[in-house]
Amino acid sequence: MSLDLDTTVKLAIYTTIAETAAAPTAVAVAQRIGAAPQQVEAAFTRLYEKRLLVPEPGDPSRIRMAPPFSGVPTAFPVETRGKRYYANCAWDALGIPAALHEDAVIPAADAFTGERITLEVKAGRAVPQECVIHFAVPAARWWEDIIYT
Amino acid sequence: MLLFRSEEMVGRWCQAHQVPWRPLVTLDQLWQLAVIWYANRLTAESRRPAADEMASVFAAVGLEGPFWDPKADTWRSAI
Repeated sequence: MSLDLDTTVKLAIYTTIAETAAAPTAVAVAQRIGAAPQQVEAAFTRLYEKRLLVPEPGDPSRIRMAPPFSGVPTAFPVETRGKRYYANCAWDALGIPAALHEDAVIPAADAFTGERITLEVKAGRAVPQECVIHFAVPAARWWEDIIYT
Repeated sequence: MLLFRSEEMVGRWCQAHQVPWRPLVTLDQLWQLAVIWYANRLTAESRRPAADEMASVFAAVGLEGPFWDPKADTWRSAI
């Protein structure tokens, strides 16, 4: 079964990130799938409308977020497969081992004090840890400013 | 969403940043959400849950009320 362009682009993005821990540019995705960079940038926009991708503000050829992965370093690194990935938030930090189906260590920190809080996923479960997660934005407004959320 | 050691630290952060206290989520709830949301993200079929599905997902892990309703316009009065 042949896949439509948006699905092909989506898979190329996620496969590249899983393999390299870095988000590809539109040019890199175009080279990987044999399409024109302009076609891939247009797919980036459609994937954003489907809430599957966030292009870099001001540069639609780059990826800021391919949830749960971040295209830039964040306060939520995720160590697994011998690599360091970055997540967009606490939820996505757990989402990376969930997406990769791997154990992972997440050297995060208390957002107020900076105290190290290391989260761990092992054998398909989050290892219990003394912590809580605060959602500052209600679900209905998450995508009004997803980078802040 | 942000991570804190305790509810006390959430309160201090909210005060420092003049952000209202909002619902808290446990690590176990967050892990359940992560699995539901992202376990098939690397597949061709993956997609973000639709609004109705999201509400069901939140309810399934114990997160209910207008704050968790992706279509709510009344969440302010509930917190």
